[in-house]
Amino acid sequence: MIKMLATNGQNKKKTFHLDETDLLCKNGCGFYGNPAWQGFCSKCYREVYQTARQAQMQHDAAKEASQTPGVIKKVTGLADVKASFSRFEEKKTQQVNKRSNTFKSFLRKTPNKENQPLVKEPRRISAESQKIGGEFAEFLKSMKRKPAAVEISKLVRGFIERIQHNQELAIDDLSEMVQDFYTSLSEKLNCLPVFKGFNPDVIDKVMDYTERYILTRLYPSIFCHPSTNDEERDLGIQNRIRSLHWITAAQLDTLINENDPAIRHELDSAITDIIELDSKRATQDKLQCVVSCSKHIFEVLRQSKQGPASADEFLPALIYIVLKANPPLLQSNIQYITRFANPTRLMSGEEGYYFTNLCCAVSFVEGINAESLNISQTDFDRYMSGEAVPPGSGNEQLCKGLQLMYENLRELAELRQRQEKVMAEALQLQADMNEFKEDFIKQVDRTKENNPWMVRPRKVKVDPDAELSGNNSNLPSPLTPLRVHLDGSVVQQECNQGGPDGEVEEMAVDVSILVDGVNVVNNSVLDSKSDIDDMLLGDGRFLEVGAPVPGEDSAGAGGMWEPNQGTLSGSMEMEQGSG
Amino acid sequence: MASVGGGATGGGRNLNFKVVLLGEGCVGKTSLVLRYVENKFNDKHITTLQASFLNKKLNIGGKRVNLAIWDTAGQERFHALGPIYYRDSNGAILVYDITDEDSFQKVKNWVKELRRMLGQDVCLCIAGNKTDLEKNRNVTVEEAESYAASVGAKHFHTSAKMGRGIEELFLDLSKNMIEKSEESVSKGRPGSTNRKSQVLVVDDSTELPAPKSGCCG
Repeated sequence: MIKMLATNGQNKKKTFHLDETDLLCKNGCGFYGNPAWQGFCSKCYREVYQTARQAQMQHDAAKEASQTPGVIKKVTGLADVKASFSRFEEKKTQQVNKRSNTFKSFLRKTPNKENQPLVKEPRRISAESQKIGGEFAEFLKSMKRKPAAVEISKLVRGFIERIQHNQELAIDDLSEMVQDFYTSLSEKLNCLPVFKGFNPDVIDKVMDYTERYILTRLYPSIFCHPSTNDEERDLGIQNRIRSLHWITAAQLDTLINENDPAIRHELDSAITDIIELDSKRATQDKLQCVVSCSKHIFEVLRQSKQGPASADEFLPALIYIVLKANPPLLQSNIQYITRFANPTRLMSGEEGYYFTNLCCAVSFVEGINAESLNISQTDFDRYMSGEAVPPGSGNEQLCKGLQLMYENLRELAELRQRQEKVMAEALQLQADMNEFKEDFIKQVDRTKENNPWMVRPRKVKVDPDAELSGNNSNLPSPLTPLRVHLDGSVVQQECNQGGPDGEVEEMAVDVSILVDGVNVVNNSVLDSKSDIDDMLLGDGRFLEVGAPVPGEDSAGAGGMWEPNQGTLSGSMEMEQGSG
Repeated sequence: MASVGGGATGGGRNLNFKVVLLGEGCVGKTSLVLRYVENKFNDKHITTLQASFLNKKLNIGGKRVNLAIWDTAGQERFHALGPIYYRDSNGAILVYDITDEDSFQKVKNWVKELRRMLGQDVCLCIAGNKTDLEKNRNVTVEEAESYAASVGAKHFHTSAKMGRGIEELFLDLSKNMIEKSEESVSKGRPGSTNRKSQVLVVDDSTELPAPKSGCCG
């Protein structure tokens, strides 16, 4: 902190007045120094730092060589552990390369940089850093207080450079530097006149963004720092979890019922979240993963039990999740959060609580033994060595693919059963239908036999004219009215009109007129059925007689319907047959 | 972290306190805190999904206090994890079941451990829970109260079921913690916790002779 203040003092001095002595190499060799080389000139910087670097690299190499046999010994027997070991080695070499690369780039860029003291650091900025940098800048702009924003940005940038030039320090020192920066920044935000009038919310936000930005930028250099044994511990816990694969939910006294698909889904989400932990950079995001994982666990517990879950249920469930997930670089991540997260966040908030539980879970997993699982030591040893499998673990040790296959097979078998059932039932239905049909026909036949019935012809409207329209020539011509004078003489006599064959038409209309007691009879043939009475009129002056309806004698009514009767009975039979 | 994070500025900001609940399984830790925060017991209408981490905001004498109440797993197998939970806590509530002598013994163990690890910085409260089962009492009032007094802890008789004694318990604990934090502030901030105080000491010693990296801060 003192250093920070001192640095600030220097900065201020520089902005007002730049003394030439400030620009010279700190070694006093007379050449100009450069902040990128800690204030040395290029030559002195190389002398001072290259020796330190070489010593460090040699030390690293020696350390690696001494570790390798041990690690291999641990690794033998488990094929996939070897993969992680090669990853481990890869990372080591990457780190070494990175270091020499940065060193080279320092050397390469020196000539251009001499004239501009505060330039961006030589390392390429990753996408994440650019993103968070943009957000941070946006936020600073939104504060609408330029001097304050400039001051914050200056502090943050200065600090990042300071850390980047001190990457070789032990991790604890780096952690202290970061923590001190938080403290001093918080104090400055509360006390410095530039920041006067900031309300606590804004200060919290500034702290939050600062932490996010700093850690995202510095992540590659401070996560899993070479000076720590984090990687070994990562491997250790990974192997440990792997050898504890046989632990079931029941052994941890959790209520989780894994066979329920809904619960299974939540469990998978929780496992995904905890694995995601490694993919985030800022501590906030990492902690958010832990919180989200915990929320899923509570959802699982809510479905498994009534009422809110307490720590008594939560911790075993979390341990179970950690065992099932086996998150990558777990120890590195935990150490990273512990070292570099703002302590206020870690010690009191919800995130802090869940993170603490995660630490507890890891610590429990590391120290798991027969006693903590309530099983006998011999059982524990046998399970650990893979000799025996605890009852109920069943599918646990199958890989995901096999599990899925078995699940699918089971499902297929079930489907087949259902298919067979459907087939059987369809056949049964067909048989039933046939039986029903036969039965129905039989019943109808029996009923028909028992109750013979006649279908009476329906009365159909008949157009008599249509019947006769063909031979109108046989009919007499329509009668014309007779004119009768009152004196009794007939004005016009109608002649008898015979048919062409000379036959007298029986249906000829007879007209008899009775006027004043004189019976006037037409000379036409009188039909027996003609009623003269009909023609009697009271006044007797004028009389018209229309033609009577013909055909009463020509055809019998019964004969006319016979064809119809036949068709009706035929259709009846057809109906019976189809029923 | 109250005295480091927010407590330093006194009246202006909230005081944040971390309170851990310790005690054997089934003594009613969860019911106690649920009764306090939601005022409900064994109720279907409890809105919180979980009862392991709860926040309670208080206003004591004009000071805004935020209690973060951390439940801990009480099973014996997790006993060794205690230090991870109660690290940096400002207060601890040790719960025992008055019908269960063993749970009281557990409290005694916890008290010893807390005093050893956190010293006098932590405020302790002992809660004899389930006073609604008075007729089955196995831990006498005198024994419990005299023990509490001997270790500098307050003793409360509580019943989560009947809602008795719980408000008093948390209120008294909060007042105690406020006093402690003010004390530590006035004493020139020796650091409220072990971790922070260590860090501070190391800081000053390592940073003074470090002028080499000071030119670009």
